[in-house]
Amino acid sequence: MNVLREIRLPGVQLSGTATVAMLVAAVVVNSALQPNFWSAYALTSNFATFVPLVAIAVGQTIVVLSGGIDLSLGAQVTLSAVAAVQLLDGRLDRLPLAVAAALGVGLACGALNGLVVALLRLQPIVATFATSFVFSGLALVVLPTPGGSVPIEVTTVYRDAVLGVPVALLAILGLALLWWVLRRHRVLRHVYAVGGDPEAAYASLVPVARTRVLAYVLGGLFAALAALAVLANTGSGDPFVGNELTLASVAAVVLGGTALAGGRGGAGGSILGAIVLALVTNIVFFADVPTTYRQLVNGAVIILALALAGIPALQKRRPAA
Amino acid sequence: MSTLLEMTGVRKRYGGVQALDGADLTAVGGEVHALLGPNGSGKSTLDKTLAGTVVPDSGEIRIDGEAARIGGPRDAHALGVAAVHQQLSIVGDLTVTQNVVLGLEPVRRWGFLDHRAARDRAAAALERFAAAFSGRLPLDRPAGTLGPGEQQIVEVAKALAREPRVLVLDEATASLHKEQVEVLFEVVRELRAAGVLVLFTSHRLDEVFALCDRATVLRNGRTVGTVELAATGEDELVRLMVGDLPHPADLAVAPPPAGAGAAVLEVRGLTTDRLRDVSFTVRGGEVLGLGGLQGQGQSELLLALFGAARITAGEALLDGEPLPLTSPARAARAGIALVPGDRGRQGMFASRPIQENLSLASMHRRALGRFALRASSERRAARTMVDRLQIKLGSPADPVSTLSGGNQQKVVIGKWLLDQPRVVLLDDPTKGVDVGAKEEIYAIVRALADDGAIVVLNSSDNRELAELSDRVLVLFEGAVAEELAAAAVTENRLVSSALRLAPGESL
Repeated sequence: MNVLREIRLPGVQLSGTATVAMLVAAVVVNSALQPNFWSAYALTSNFATFVPLVAIAVGQTIVVLSGGIDLSLGAQVTLSAVAAVQLLDGRLDRLPLAVAAALGVGLACGALNGLVVALLRLQPIVATFATSFVFSGLALVVLPTPGGSVPIEVTTVYRDAVLGVPVALLAILGLALLWWVLRRHRVLRHVYAVGGDPEAAYASLVPVARTRVLAYVLGGLFAALAALAVLANTGSGDPFVGNELTLASVAAVVLGGTALAGGRGGAGGSILGAIVLALVTNIVFFADVPTTYRQLVNGAVIILALALAGIPALQKRRPAA
Repeated sequence: MSTLLEMTGVRKRYGGVQALDGADLTAVGGEVHALLGPNGSGKSTLDKTLAGTVVPDSGEIRIDGEAARIGGPRDAHALGVAAVHQQLSIVGDLTVTQNVVLGLEPVRRWGFLDHRAARDRAAAALERFAAAFSGRLPLDRPAGTLGPGEQQIVEVAKALAREPRVLVLDEATASLHKEQVEVLFEVVRELRAAGVLVLFTSHRLDEVFALCDRATVLRNGRTVGTVELAATGEDELVRLMVGDLPHPADLAVAPPPAGAGAAVLEVRGLTTDRLRDVSFTVRGGEVLGLGGLQGQGQSELLLALFGAARITAGEALLDGEPLPLTSPARAARAGIALVPGDRGRQGMFASRPIQENLSLASMHRRALGRFALRASSERRAARTMVDRLQIKLGSPADPVSTLSGGNQQKVVIGKWLLDQPRVVLLDDPTKGVDVGAKEEIYAIVRALADDGAIVVLNSSDNRELAELSDRVLVLFEGAVAEELAAAAVTENRLVSSALRLAPGESL
């Protein structure tokens, strides 16, 4: 009966092997171009720059799995970061306070998005685009120009290594572990169910609205973790720092094989996807692309990767005759 | 035994359609109670109000004598109601186990999932049906990869795992094999013995007589009566469902004008994955109805003729010329038009102007040099159709979504009439359309046939089929089960013909 209906586009999704293959390719090309790619210093500094994108990609994954999308995650990173850096004021003893503030801001932003999407039933893409201006605007109020300082101890530890393993890599492993734990919780199961088929989930006693709100709250939590990584990496606050992270997080989710339609995928792939994206930026830098063209080439490579990623999905959806 | 469930004066309106208009139902624990009625009589809606997926506009539900407020599925669950709906609540990407426990996952401390308990619970619920999975329960397979019958069983197991006091089975046997049905009946009988109330909705009367104790019959959203099935004959039950309404006498339709010049559509052995060897011939000026239970391949047959289904065997000839059954665009060029049943999704662009919707399918006839369109001729064409179909509108520039359901449907029909089709395929054209607009659409269908077009009409409304068709093909499981010619096309005959076909039986 529904022949016409079945031809509709399923969410773009790619297999795990494709993500891993892209990661391998990116590592090979990068190590050929970047001198001392495998040296302890280069590894540490590479991983240090990866962490924020990895964290925000995990958050975006959860929102996308629930059937939504959060275009304000980057702005949430900015707002969390400037709030924390203002409280820190370069003092180590204020670190717990600043961390708590960053987490609080992320959770509050996520809750706002969740309420707007789940209760007011606005389109997620539009609603979160709108709240992103609210969050960026607030960030400018909190910290109008780049500034503020992070205690030197924090930035030092962040770029250190424990038993030869970079702290930043440990942070990425920690994020993966956090995802692994969440995955075993009822809330994430409900997130998958709501993203997969909201009506079936509703009929099956899943609290659909609450689950949607919680997905955005978790997104905000990971945005706050990304903000802390940004501060530890750069050592100061910047009211524009999160701008590029939003769309990069969506790209990482797609590269990692999570269906934009919701309900299918996971953050493991998104973490790899985030690393691939970061490596592409590296490659463009070390390939001596003139500064003016860097962004253009970067974008083109990402489009190519997304197109490659879409091929298996295309073959699967070829309609009947 | 005391009354367990009492529903009184339940009303529900969807847009222009009164689905329930004061339905009543009283049932006791420890009985299997059938809910019967023709297509669109409100059975499913009544089931859904009990399960909480539909909130009624008014009416009272009492369970154990106490007024129950069912505002959602969770309220229904708290009252001990579990339901298996026609529209399954299976999440395809979750595994079978995850589906069975969905919403009630067993958890350890702090809400972390207890996988072992979940597996145990799913295995216990599915064990009875092990034979249906050839012995091995697919507990860890994504539910979306199972066949329709298997998914239906997972849905039943999910409801059983909730240990309900009231179990609603709405067409729960629709995609089950005979052996699977037997197992389900065994389980239902056990539940009855344990004092559970089972509300059973099925189009198959033999199942109703085999399983149920009493039956409540609905017609047009209202309860007609409740009968003891042991003391009721099949004919009596069918009469209750159809009613004693006088049949329109003007139906003595003359045999179709088989004269020279009339177009002929000949379908030979048409087979798809949901149609089996369908053959028939229909002439210009004739309205061929497609009847039977819903979802027996009627829509698929229309889609196949419109080139929107994959044909595995067979062919269709229009005036002796083979039709291209490969794409809707080619079918349209060959003179075929489809008015889809789901107009919102397949038939129109709701937010675009009425004029644009009307002119879309026939643009190529007015295009200058293949691609330029002249606004004046577009307007003229649209205007003609608005007048001819008496579409009530503000301005042709308004979006289609501003029209009522009946007038929207007229736009969908009108868009194809501008293309002057030789074959018009109508898929449930008056679904969700109010009575007045229905009559006007009937007039349009008749006018089409009188102008010499071949009309093939699928309808879930038997009265509509009886009123419009010269002949009706009764479909069952994708094959033509019976052909009723002019004199035999009565609503009564259609209902009984559709209902008496048990699975495996054919004529």
